[in-house]
Amino acid sequence: MPLRNILIITAILFSGGTILAQHDAHPQQDHDTHTPDAVHQDDGAHSPADTAAHAAGAHETHHEPEAYNASASILHHILDTHDWEITEIPAGKDAAGKQLYRPISIPLPWFFYSSRDGFQVVGSTAALPEKGYVAVHDQLYALKAGATVHADAHGAVHLSEEELATIKDADVTLVDLSITRTSFQMLLIGILLVILFTGVARAYARRGSAAPKGFQSFMEPIILFIRDEVARPYLHNKADAFLPYLLTLFFFIWFCNILGLTPLNSNITGNISVTAALAILTFILTQVNASKDHWIHIFNTPGVPWWLKFGIPLMPVVEFIGLFTKPFALAIRLFANITAGHFMVLGLVSLIFIMGKNGESLIGGLAIAPLSVLFTLVIFCLETIVAIIQPFIFTLLTAVFIGMAMESHDHSHDHGHDHASDKHHH
Amino acid sequence: METIGVMGAGIGAGLAAIGAGIGIGRLAASSVESIARQPEAAGDIRGAMILTAAFIEGAALFGEVICLLAVLAGGN
Repeated sequence: MPLRNILIITAILFSGGTILAQHDAHPQQDHDTHTPDAVHQDDGAHSPADTAAHAAGAHETHHEPEAYNASASILHHILDTHDWEITEIPAGKDAAGKQLYRPISIPLPWFFYSSRDGFQVVGSTAALPEKGYVAVHDQLYALKAGATVHADAHGAVHLSEEELATIKDADVTLVDLSITRTSFQMLLIGILLVILFTGVARAYARRGSAAPKGFQSFMEPIILFIRDEVARPYLHNKADAFLPYLLTLFFFIWFCNILGLTPLNSNITGNISVTAALAILTFILTQVNASKDHWIHIFNTPGVPWWLKFGIPLMPVVEFIGLFTKPFALAIRLFANITAGHFMVLGLVSLIFIMGKNGESLIGGLAIAPLSVLFTLVIFCLETIVAIIQPFIFTLLTAVFIGMAMESHDHSHDHGHDHASDKHHH
Repeated sequence: METIGVMGAGIGAGLAAIGAGIGIGRLAASSVESIARQPEAAGDIRGAMILTAAFIEGAALFGEVICLLAVLAGGN
């Protein structure tokens, strides 16, 4: 019965919010909706005419609120950027009475190689045009000599494809090596890990085998768990050699995930490049430590008819591709899990803006807000679990892959036992 | 045409989720059954369960990522 009541209330809230939002939506349907220039969350879908209109300062005619572009807003949070934007604060109104916002952000330096000027270091995105470069949607372009760009009050530059094509110098090759938001946050996490764990290590050196204290006692069970449940069962007597790497991997991914759940605009492990780099490390470690039997198993798989190996080389091809799909799956798994979580949270929060017509319809926003917050809370609980399960799985699979590659098949007794238990598991 | 592409991606994402749901559901069912039958082996069974769930999930995630790419490539 109580469950049924909850469902009914939920349904009423949902339909109520939808009806209110629809009601508000009506008068605006035949108007041209328009992205403002001050909100620099640009959707990338400007029509050239639109942009030309703002460049001419003709936006006084557009009094309508812009349509809230949920997918653009979500992608803006998910993707990497060249400044660390924490939040936005209201910053007065423009001539047309439109609310303006000023971003609170930490500008990160641009560092890039240009075939025109060599290596360049530029303090922030706003300082780029002085040096003859411009960043549009976080993509770096070289400017032609004498070309000027106009930035808005906050240093954001808005150019359409056509405008950009006229002023960019396509002959200059650019290699962007900047410290972006993600890499900056990764460095912060790295520094944090070094500080925390040197403290823990020092505590062990000082206290010896006495009972752990403070932060040390928080870390000890986790470290022991990784050693006893991850490293030792799969790496046997080599476990201690790989333990430092496995622990680093686990804590790095875990801390990155946790930072991603804070409202600090962080999405480190939801960046495919980061997870790919971690997976490549696993791949290298696996291949470097592989035993001779590992390669024999790939190119001359035992227990397979000879014609599948040498006649039609199906098995070697499958096994060889398998070498790459394992780390690929590792990278995709972490990326997809974390990104999916961020998408869900941002999507649920976006509901408030969609229903509230981006601030125009207070009732629509208020109607959906309790539901949105409740669902976000549930997703957050789930994501907190995912944030620790995923590093565990990543570490576990790294240990499994390395263990499998290191396995030597010539000694008989415990090998037979291992295989029996493996078969049992699968 | 684009709409059909996006719709296809949506349907594909749903199918991938169904596949993973069936797979992980069967895995969880038999793991819980095994733990009930042999509670002293709960630790081993749980470890194998998480590992296998990760593999099943991996297959589904390949599908989901392809759907996401289809939407991002077709949506613009």
